[in-house]
Amino acid sequence: MNISMNELKAALRRCFEASGYFVGNYEDAANMIMWLEKHGLKGLNELEQALPYIGADRDKPLSKVIYEDATSATIDAHDRSSLNCIAAAVDLAQAKALENGIATITVHNCHNRMFILKALTDCGRRGISAAAYWQNGSTKITEHTAAIRSGQRYPSYSEALTNLETCGDDKQALTIICSSRVDLTSSLQNTKKDYISPKRVAENKQHSIEFGIEIDDKLWAEINQLGTGILVENSERSRLDAGGR
Amino acid sequence: MTTYAAIQASMRGDNPMPLRPPGQVMSIERLGALHQSRLSFMRTLVRRIFRERWNIEPTRFDLDSDGYGTVIYEINAPHGLFSFVLFSDHLSNDERNDRVIATKWDLTMALVEDKVDDEYLEKLRQNVPKQEAGRVDSRVFVLSRANRSARNFDYVVNQLANGEQPSVDKIAEVGYLYRTTAVYGSGKLGMADWEKVRSKHKDFSRPFSGEMFVCLMLRNFSLLQVEHIARHKKPETFSPMKPELKRYFGIGNSTGLGMAPFLVNHPQLINQWVEMRELALARVRALGSVDTNIKNKLNDLIDRCSLHTVQTITEDQRQTQHNKDVVEDLAAIKMQANTEFNSWNDLVLWSEQHCSIQGQEMLVSIMLELYPELVDELEDFHGTDEHLDLDPLMPLQQLKSLIEDRYGWAIKIDFDADGARDTYWYRSEEKMEPRLGSIADVEGKKKHMDLAVGFAVHRCYSLLCEYITEHPEHTTARFMVHQPKLRGTVRRIQTMSHCFYGDIQANLLDQNILPMHLLRCKLAFFGVSKFDPRSRLWVRNTMFQGAPLLEEIGQTFNDDWFMPLAPKQQGSQNS
Repeated sequence: MNISMNELKAALRRCFEASGYFVGNYEDAANMIMWLEKHGLKGLNELEQALPYIGADRDKPLSKVIYEDATSATIDAHDRSSLNCIAAAVDLAQAKALENGIATITVHNCHNRMFILKALTDCGRRGISAAAYWQNGSTKITEHTAAIRSGQRYPSYSEALTNLETCGDDKQALTIICSSRVDLTSSLQNTKKDYISPKRVAENKQHSIEFGIEIDDKLWAEINQLGTGILVENSERSRLDAGGR
Repeated sequence: MTTYAAIQASMRGDNPMPLRPPGQVMSIERLGALHQSRLSFMRTLVRRIFRERWNIEPTRFDLDSDGYGTVIYEINAPHGLFSFVLFSDHLSNDERNDRVIATKWDLTMALVEDKVDDEYLEKLRQNVPKQEAGRVDSRVFVLSRANRSARNFDYVVNQLANGEQPSVDKIAEVGYLYRTTAVYGSGKLGMADWEKVRSKHKDFSRPFSGEMFVCLMLRNFSLLQVEHIARHKKPETFSPMKPELKRYFGIGNSTGLGMAPFLVNHPQLINQWVEMRELALARVRALGSVDTNIKNKLNDLIDRCSLHTVQTITEDQRQTQHNKDVVEDLAAIKMQANTEFNSWNDLVLWSEQHCSIQGQEMLVSIMLELYPELVDELEDFHGTDEHLDLDPLMPLQQLKSLIEDRYGWAIKIDFDADGARDTYWYRSEEKMEPRLGSIADVEGKKKHMDLAVGFAVHRCYSLLCEYITEHPEHTTARFMVHQPKLRGTVRRIQTMSHCFYGDIQANLLDQNILPMHLLRCKLAFFGVSKFDPRSRLWVRNTMFQGAPLLEEIGQTFNDDWFMPLAPKQQGSQNS
């Protein structure tokens, strides 16, 4: 079915709020998914991967900085989805870049890392160049990179299938580089890569603005069903809460 | 013509305009005392339509003799062609319900880009009358419904059918033939997103201009429909309604709690609206010259506002008292202005000492009315990009100072005091309608909406103070990794600190909170009049009363329908 971006964002916010995400975070999560889908980068496909696990994150420890110096940090995300932890990691990278020119943050044990694109794009809008790299998969290993220049509105994104057999020791790592002084671009060395340019990302956005977003009926129903967790059961007393004297 | 940069400079530059302070303006009681002004969205829309001479014509008028059927108007505006599609269906009195939970209405409407052909009309017919239960596509950008006024509709039809005019006293009592019960835009139910409307349809690129336009079209149709039914009922005796009576009919509106979350969830937008109104006031205070002509106009407007208030009917005791206060205040302002008045600034300061808040705000609206050359250009600056951005580099000491400076009102609230956290906001499973509950409902409380900005900031401040003692050198980014649950609150604090007025200053959890203030604030920016609170949670009001008629587009236009008065009619109490 076809829905508007606003409908998707509102439904996602309810869904994440009902799943235990806190204020600020459920908006971030909804915006991250919306951003990918709006820009033609399959945010809803990513969401389908994440959806079975989003409720579990409320029982996991919060992200923790396990190493830090002036220009770098390592964060353990404790197997959380990037939907509820990556924005803070990018903020830390941005703060260090502003202080020292360039910074690198490595995040371990973080899932659904594709969602970082929205946070990277926010960096670009704020005048910070940013790039990210990660590998994904257990049998077929893919690699991914995204980057945005300072002051730009849209990032580039590349994805490629590697001939690696494993992702190494840490299967869920993500490296973020931010700079307030150097314009970063990223391009996979792999020759069989799918590259999406900033121009293409912008065109995809225009299409979504004009025509809205296509979503699978089942997924839409599932998002909305999860969101009902924040709704209070109707009753006569509840009706008075809307208009009684 | 001003620019965004010039506006910013006049507010924050080296020689800024004398803006009223946030602590005064953003108190919920003052926001709940605002009145319509020439910057209200209905006024700015009508100005635009009449100055640009929009061409609005019915291209399909399939109504039976009882007024049921389908009507399409085509709107030729400078930047595009649009269609206003309306379905009029029979509704029994038993089925008529103004609440958002209703499922059937007398009229349903859609504002659509471009022409509507038969195939698309059929698609609309299958969905628009269902409202929330239907789906539309991104060609539609406003969807609404309305119910007849049981007190007025049949009465007016019968009067016109019998060759009589409706009584002014009756219209003064209920100033409309239809009440809207919801006006949807911004991507709801499959409609075009605001991002599309704002960027593609320049004729409707100001906030809520599409929604206001639909209400204006509804008002126009309501007048046309009563004449149509009356003409068919008794063609031999029918007489059309006099234009001055038509102008006195507006559109009724019932607004409930749904508006309150909007104000809290769009702080930058609300700040922008407040900034433009306050800048307009500051311009008049600083630049408005006072001469005999202005003094005469001021006297006329005071008399008009006083009579308008007297003609406002409400059963609500609190509102009745407010209206009495306003009438007394206006008399006092008039006396003051006629004895010792050379400066608007002095008069404003005098009103702050001697008038009720509603009276003070009425004076503000009057002042704006007198200086269109200082005010009207600000109407193009009611929109804003809404991004709540974290400033990760901000040192925590600076963040702490920022909270103390901009949110001192929240820090001062004693949230442990009796009643300070006795209310919670929630969404019902019934159409997700926002409601206001008591914390006695333990299960419901678990699902509260996060609207209590004051409480969130208060808590954030406490945790920040604790953290600073251990890590005084840290940045906000580092604090956010430690306290990710505060992310939303911290970025709101930081972002709103860039706005002149910032957040609404109120404890929305207090047992005595009056949501009516929030509703009235937004409705005043829309431009409604005749506030008639039906409880502390919902209010009836009138839109577009006194506005010129669509058939008057192209004729002279003096943009003078502020605080409209009942037209003169023989035997009327209101004449």
